[in-house]
Amino acid sequence: MTRFRITRRAALLGATGAVTTFAIGGRAFGQAAPVVFGALPPLSGAGGPYGPAMLRAIQGVVEEANAAGGIRGRPIRVVAEDDQTNPDAGVRGARKLIDVDRVTALMGTWASAVTTAVAPLCWENRIPLFTVSGADSITLLPHQGFIFRTQPNSRLQIATGADFLIRQGARRIFHLAAQSPFAQSSQEVLTEKFRAVQGGAVAGYIVYERDKTAFRSEVDQVLRARVDTVFLNGYLPDVTILLRELFRAGFEGRRFTPAYAVNQTTFQTLPNEVTNGVMTWQPSPDVNSGAFRRLQTRFGNVEVDPYSAQTHDHATLAILAAAQAGDASGVAIRDHVRRIASGSGEVVDNVTDGLRLINAGRAVNFDGASGPLDFDERGDIQGTKFRYERAENGRFVLMEIT
Amino acid sequence: MEAYLAAMLVFAGIYALMALGLNVIWGLTGMVNLGLVGFFAVGAYASALLTKYWLWPMPLGWAAAGLAAALAGAVMAVIVARLRGDYLAIVTLGFAEVVRLVAANEVWLTNGTDGISGIPGPWRGAVSPQEFNLIFLGLVWTAVLVAFVLLARLSHAPFGRVLRAVREDEEVAAVAGKPVLWFKVRAFCLGAAVLGVAGALYAHYNAYIAPEGFAPLLTIYIVLALTAGGVGAMRGAVLGALLLLLLLEGTRFVAQEIPGVTPVQKAALREAIIAVSLILLLRFRPQGLIPERTRTRATP
Repeated sequence: MTRFRITRRAALLGATGAVTTFAIGGRAFGQAAPVVFGALPPLSGAGGPYGPAMLRAIQGVVEEANAAGGIRGRPIRVVAEDDQTNPDAGVRGARKLIDVDRVTALMGTWASAVTTAVAPLCWENRIPLFTVSGADSITLLPHQGFIFRTQPNSRLQIATGADFLIRQGARRIFHLAAQSPFAQSSQEVLTEKFRAVQGGAVAGYIVYERDKTAFRSEVDQVLRARVDTVFLNGYLPDVTILLRELFRAGFEGRRFTPAYAVNQTTFQTLPNEVTNGVMTWQPSPDVNSGAFRRLQTRFGNVEVDPYSAQTHDHATLAILAAAQAGDASGVAIRDHVRRIASGSGEVVDNVTDGLRLINAGRAVNFDGASGPLDFDERGDIQGTKFRYERAENGRFVLMEIT
Repeated sequence: MEAYLAAMLVFAGIYALMALGLNVIWGLTGMVNLGLVGFFAVGAYASALLTKYWLWPMPLGWAAAGLAAALAGAVMAVIVARLRGDYLAIVTLGFAEVVRLVAANEVWLTNGTDGISGIPGPWRGAVSPQEFNLIFLGLVWTAVLVAFVLLARLSHAPFGRVLRAVREDEEVAAVAGKPVLWFKVRAFCLGAAVLGVAGALYAHYNAYIAPEGFAPLLTIYIVLALTAGGVGAMRGAVLGALLLLLLLEGTRFVAQEIPGVTPVQKAALREAIIAVSLILLLRFRPQGLIPERTRTRATP
């Protein structure tokens, strides 16, 4: 008896749910007027700490653009789905955004695997995808111009880091890399860069398994190679151990590592004498730009991470490109992004000014919070700034931003 | 909307295939298999590599995927021959993680964490994306139908009865003269083969696979789908997969309609709704929506 009642109730509930699902889906078709953009940031999973701020940056730009009259009178709506930092969930979310919400641009994918999985859907449905993922392979996909990446790819990052080391006087360098997709390409870039300078050489290259807890043999090889610089191309846990072991072994050369591999945790784990002098580098938002300062004010003067600066630019690019084209279709946005991102137009750093100038029929050149936003023919960003820091007594001291 | 529904039904079909495969191993034979995403990955990689780099025709790739996964299943079955319950669960979970780590590190074969993109799909590019969706929809659900009919027949055949006997009590089955290990190996092979084919279909539909796509989360989803549908019954496996997808996707729209909910809260709310529904289902209907019907309890 009891079991019967529950089954019927469950059936009723399920049926109601299913009916509502369709009813809600149907409503999206009713209104044709607004321009709809899709946001697919990681709101849970490994990217969970970044996604909410990335989304807030997009929503802020859209609110501002709507206050400025929208895209040629059409209001803009953002629909967000969670990619769960998982390619499978990302694809389902993108399907919903593309097929149900009919978005004409997708922005804010974070993990490289999610971006690569979602990309074919975008180019097949002819809508642009703006992403912050760094893997080199992404812009090598046959994307017909539909991918715009605001994060410098790993080759560019390594090349910039190598140039910095050479400026610092490094000549003989040892490359210690954790097993990762970018170990091999990093080595190729380093070899090329150091061969080009007088007396320069990559004196050693080891790929190590990052889960190891001791690196004695690797450190011994570094010492034997008599290098002036060691490049620790790994992650936080392994670089922490390597720094300690290099110190114990008495290594006195430069130590250079990506910024994500050394942070406050490192300073808590290792004594200052071990970390002093470690140099880090990372792509930096353009912290002196008007766009970045406005974003910072909107966030309430807290620290703005590079990804939010980039998604802020994604939304602005999509809106201005659609306004410039006078057409909010995916193809029109793709074709007009470069026209408003670079060129000889009047430089603007926010969506309101951009829309005003475009409506007045003037050419604009948008310089964003993440940088001047110049894309090459593959959709890769050019001319991003980099930030170099040195550890001194448990904190980072800025060396330069270039 | 139609394209979205078609795409989601393709995913439901792939999940249904996985649930059917798991049902042979876990439902019929009683071997807990938390490594099903490992077999799924073996199938996906086998077919992707063979059709993309060796230019095999796709049907051959899918068959090879089933075969490769079956082989992995056989090896696995022999390794875990003496393990049961929690121990078996942990070893199979480990197997799936090993497959994922190998895929992430053996760059020469699998292209590492960059994954394999541009996997061909039937008539992809030659037809519109929506037509491709519909073609794949037909393909996946044909595969589900074939697997369903064959496995349902099998589970009522003498072979299926022996598997159930092994599940209920291995010693009794052995005393009755059944070669228990041999039956277990065959059940594992069969289930893994279905999982492998599901993996191949997934790879060709999405056109992209990467180690991150084969995380344990998918295993948990399928185990829950099977539990909800009814462990042991083949109809339950298919129903459970459909229910799982309705929950995963339906919650998107339900959470979206609640006023004043931000996207971040919506993401959390979705997961909460999914979790609560499954808890309620297991609380009030632990045998699943379609319980297994056997003649075990019938009067002689």
